[in-house]
Amino acid sequence: MTDLSQLSRSRRPKWHYVAVGVGLIVVAVALTVAWQILAAPESVGSQAVGPVRAIAYFFGSLLFLLLIAGLVLIVILLLREVRLNERQSNFVSAVTHELKTPVASLKLYLDTLEYRDVAPEKRADFYRTMRQDIERLNSTINNVLNAAMYTDRPVADPRPLDLARVARHAIELTATRHQLPKEAIRYEGPVGLWVAGDPQALETAVLNLLDNAVKYSKDRVEIEVEVWGDADGQAHVKVRDHGIGMSRTHLPFIFTRFYRIGTEVRRSRTGTGLGLFIVRAVVKGHRGTITADSPGPDRGSSFTISLPGLLEPDREPEGEAARA
Amino acid sequence: MPRILLVEDEEHLAAGIRFNFELEGYEVETIGDGLRAVERLAPPAEGPVWDAAPTLDLVVLDVMLPGLDGFEIVERMRQAGNYTPVLMLTAKGLPEDVVQGLEAGADDYLPKPFDLVVLLARVRSLVRRRDWARAPAEGSSPVRIGGASVDFASFELRKGGVTARLTLLEAMLLKLLVERRGQVVTKAEILEKVWNLNPDTETRAVDNFVMRLRRHLEEDARSPRFLQTVRGVGYRLVEE
Repeated sequence: MTDLSQLSRSRRPKWHYVAVGVGLIVVAVALTVAWQILAAPESVGSQAVGPVRAIAYFFGSLLFLLLIAGLVLIVILLLREVRLNERQSNFVSAVTHELKTPVASLKLYLDTLEYRDVAPEKRADFYRTMRQDIERLNSTINNVLNAAMYTDRPVADPRPLDLARVARHAIELTATRHQLPKEAIRYEGPVGLWVAGDPQALETAVLNLLDNAVKYSKDRVEIEVEVWGDADGQAHVKVRDHGIGMSRTHLPFIFTRFYRIGTEVRRSRTGTGLGLFIVRAVVKGHRGTITADSPGPDRGSSFTISLPGLLEPDREPEGEAARA
Repeated sequence: MPRILLVEDEEHLAAGIRFNFELEGYEVETIGDGLRAVERLAPPAEGPVWDAAPTLDLVVLDVMLPGLDGFEIVERMRQAGNYTPVLMLTAKGLPEDVVQGLEAGADDYLPKPFDLVVLLARVRSLVRRRDWARAPAEGSSPVRIGGASVDFASFELRKGGVTARLTLLEAMLLKLLVERRGQVVTKAEILEKVWNLNPDTETRAVDNFVMRLRRHLEEDARSPRFLQTVRGVGYRLVEE
């Protein structure tokens, strides 16, 4: 962990470089304006100004503008780099927390079981807690591995798969993991909906959306999953929750790697900032799109995965259902 | 029975720590978010509201909390004049985090994951250290250092009509220097005895604390007469 942390230290935000860049732009603009005033031909077209001078003036201005454009470009790139570094250091912080917290808890309970005389019913309680910690640890590890594994590159070996079945399986898993009552996640859609792709990857994507929906729900978990195919040959999976939602300003960024709303030291929800990034990578690998929408804070949010290449039901390969 | 406030948002950890603290015979309060912790520890200035709530002997504080982080909570606590000892727990065990925590006013620091026995030992030691710092150093009268007088029972330092409140760590550092008056106390020893840290820890925390003490004790903190630096070795408290 020390190495990771060192990484974060060297990646402290470098806002002062950005400030220097902005300062340079201001200087360049001022210089350009001053030069244009000083070097301007007194009155263009009059006898005093030769064509050479007019041409020099034109190219001079052009070069100045190029200079400014270049500076602006560099500052924009720098700004993006700084933002990425910031997110990365937040990520290190989040992963450190996500890995160390369950480990700390497991260690604490093991120590307790070792040092104390724990009553049997309390002991069962401890075991349940420890199992949940292992679950959490496992899901963090999977997230990090998945983020490395699923890239935007097209799926290598697309197979026909039943998207409706994938969604229902993900619902089942989520309900078990979070110990939700049956009615907490509602499924709406056909019995089968066939597309070509990587079933494992798509299940991970839907699972991540569902995990988020649970995580960002308020006291009562209420989630709708809708699956449908449209006339354009696209298959859709929509996951909607009635949780904390988000303001519109965050929407464009949430699929970015390591992006999390708020700062890590004041974290209020578990997570590494990889979940939606993985969803987007999987969906892109299927040449599909992912969209997010939220009417605003506290008004829930919805995520829709859209995949092209809906397979006709009659083309459903025999025996595939059993294999999927 | 010593009373401990546990500020931890991770339910599993909070429950496990609480279970162990209670078996050790402590009374335990738990709070799961930063804002409520500040309400309890540093209530608004008008009137000492926490008089109504039971007095705490120790605060065990997580760093990453919803609402407000642990560093800020300690800082606000100290600003509000609450000098209850604070033990910080955090997943980030970097030396710079240790320093940030101590400088914010924490008294001890334990990285996660921790050993249960170590946690319990640190808690016992903090409760004990408070008593130790409170025990009079020389007789029961306040100790005089130059024009200042220090009362280790109330953690108060009076100089020229101004009374300053020392934190547990400041009081312990000063007490160590008073007990060894005239002798050089090395930085390593200070780190070990006052901070409970490995003597090799690279930190400016000791220097910063000495600077703070000088501001209370000296006429001119930059050319100290009483609390002297022995270059490359440590510090020494001298009589005039």
